[in-house]
Amino acid sequence: MAKRIVINPVTRISGFMEIDVMVENQLVVDAKTKGNFFRGFEQMMVGRNPFDAIYLTQRICGICSTAHSTASSVALEDALQIQVTEIGRYVRDIIHGCEFLQNHLRHFYQYTIPDFVKLPEVSSIYQADHTDFRLPKEVNDRIAKNYFSSFEFSRLAHQMLAVLGGKVPHNHGIFVGGYSMPPTADKIIKMKSILQKISDFINQFALPDVYDIARFYPDYFTLGKGPGNLLSYGAFHRYKNLGTLYVEPLVYIGGKTESFDPNFITEDIGYSWYAGKSTYKPLETMPEPEMEKKHGYSWVKAPRYKLLPFEVGPLARLWLSGDYRKGISAMDRTIARVLEAQKIAKIIGVLLDQVIPNHSVQQEWQLPESAVGVGLVDTTRGSLGHWLKLEQKLLSFYQIITPSAWDFSSRDTNNIPGTAEQALIGTPIANTEQPVELGRILRSFDPCMSCATHVYMPGKEPKTIQVFG
Amino acid sequence: MQQEYVLPPEPVSNEAIAKRLTDAARAEIHSGRLQKKNFVWLELTGCSGNIISMMNGTNPDLEYAITSMVNLVYSNSLMAAEGEKAIEKLMEALQGEFILAVEGAVALRNNGLYHVIGNWQGQPLTALQAAKMLGERASHVIAVGACATHGGPSAAKPNPAQCVGLQSVLDRKVIQLPGCPCHPDWFLGTLAHLLMYGEPEMDNLNRPLMFYSTSLHDRCPRKHFFDKGIFAKTLGEPTCLFKLGCRGPVTRIDCPTRLWNGYVSWPIEASTCIGCSQFGFPDQMAPFVVYDITRE
Repeated sequence: MAKRIVINPVTRISGFMEIDVMVENQLVVDAKTKGNFFRGFEQMMVGRNPFDAIYLTQRICGICSTAHSTASSVALEDALQIQVTEIGRYVRDIIHGCEFLQNHLRHFYQYTIPDFVKLPEVSSIYQADHTDFRLPKEVNDRIAKNYFSSFEFSRLAHQMLAVLGGKVPHNHGIFVGGYSMPPTADKIIKMKSILQKISDFINQFALPDVYDIARFYPDYFTLGKGPGNLLSYGAFHRYKNLGTLYVEPLVYIGGKTESFDPNFITEDIGYSWYAGKSTYKPLETMPEPEMEKKHGYSWVKAPRYKLLPFEVGPLARLWLSGDYRKGISAMDRTIARVLEAQKIAKIIGVLLDQVIPNHSVQQEWQLPESAVGVGLVDTTRGSLGHWLKLEQKLLSFYQIITPSAWDFSSRDTNNIPGTAEQALIGTPIANTEQPVELGRILRSFDPCMSCATHVYMPGKEPKTIQVFG
Repeated sequence: MQQEYVLPPEPVSNEAIAKRLTDAARAEIHSGRLQKKNFVWLELTGCSGNIISMMNGTNPDLEYAITSMVNLVYSNSLMAAEGEKAIEKLMEALQGEFILAVEGAVALRNNGLYHVIGNWQGQPLTALQAAKMLGERASHVIAVGACATHGGPSAAKPNPAQCVGLQSVLDRKVIQLPGCPCHPDWFLGTLAHLLMYGEPEMDNLNRPLMFYSTSLHDRCPRKHFFDKGIFAKTLGEPTCLFKLGCRGPVTRIDCPTRLWNGYVSWPIEASTCIGCSQFGFPDQMAPFVVYDITRE
């Protein structure tokens, strides 16, 4: 007999998401991931001073604001035909790298660990709602202790970011040209000192902890695979003197790796609440909302590459760079997140050694009357794109496709489910009263629904929101 | 014995003051004079960046706050439970006394259905319903960050989700902590004051004076350049950023002396102030960076 399971809210993520699945004979036979709120940042950008995009698009997301400042400044450099210097790239990538560290530690310990580790109920929020805790007491207690320590280290990663960013969330340090104020020796050494503490924590605690969890929950190596298509716009790559420190722009499709071509990116609105052309390119059009749409069930649209859903994020990057090829699953994704934190810490160390102090990259930037710009960057959760147009020296068009839109897309016109939906379909549910598998698989992707559901399209006002699809 | 209360903020005394406040709170709790109150952190229509900012607090840090100052019963970002079992914690909190902190705006469009924060008994619970239900019954209500205090970025024109600040849907006093995000000290200091001494002294817009009393410009380390008329032409210069669009002169906040993220820096050490702790942010504070000031 089929049983419907709805989880809303999926807690311990950034933003708000609902899971809606059908279970038959203890197996998930259908799954929908739904974005249930929106604010509409793209429309907000129209008519604004172009430089304001760097600060205002950060407000899409409290956990990955630096990513948006990076993508928007790269898109503006493209539109303004600014050749960013190598030092400009180094410092921007250092600031952005700090966000990877903060996000990965936060997501692994504070958002993922409570699924697998019984935390002491020192506060009411730690009361668990399931009983599938398998770690031996001494391992459980050790990781629970590290859970509380992790607050300090994710905080330190933000502190390192703020040394050059001024503050965070929502930094002031990233700008057109790379960075705003030149670093000084005291700041560079402060960051190196903090970086060492974070690296030690990753190596001595986070890595042993994730491997212990993997050891006691081995079934998660077989759960949550998804479509198996992987995508990266490239990260920490193609420096003039350093070459590629991490990963080139690549895709993994049908078991083969090939180079990435941005012309294959489309968005599809077959099952999301929009009307208009069902498939379009990012700079092409902005479809109208349509809540009465018969098959619509989410605000998250369906980004596609070669018309297929793709996974983005740490596992995709480590796979494409060749650093990790053990498998694609919920547990591989979580291990990849911690391994990537270790890798990013090393890269930040390399880049910090390249920084020249007291060197300004700022100018009186001139705005063209009209222009088009694209900023494609890989961020904590995966591939992020900002596409913008300028008219009369003001923003006239803004399109954003976030990593979480890739991972949590709705179905498309060809009825192909999104990446996370495919990861859920086929999952065995041991106890339908405590379907702990669903949240664990979803969190392995590190959902950021603040980002995924930022989209607003002008037009007719919808009458209702269909919460049950 | 109640310890002497010292008005912040000066940079050397930030941590000392925070420590004094929290040590006093801890002593009160340990002595039994103060019960750990239930505390609800509600994320509404925003970026969830204020809870991240709270986790960046140092003395008190969030770990201390939730173990020694209050009993945190609900947080979408942190709580172990999910689905209706999570919302159940929210409903249980309603039965007793609790302090409410809200981040994010309240989306009014479509009768609030532009933001569903969870399901309860099979029905959608909107941000609007949650704000009213909890806001009316809490012992104290604190709006944390720009979206909660006045709509903030969530209400930026054309305000697609028809967002408003929390005060607009509640007929009661709401303590206002504007900022994008709110500094952890502004919130945790206000919470400490509520727990130990009751409501802090506030201005006519319900902002605590201990954080929001003085203009940023008056304490800006670049102010002598302003006084001498020496203005930066690019962001990389150390002189006054006023002609690049800096909103320091109209912004009342203690950033220059408090500093951010473990007190290592603040926005003007990197770029212009964009007035994120002013009620008009973002629309009335834009443009944030301009090279031809005469254009505006």
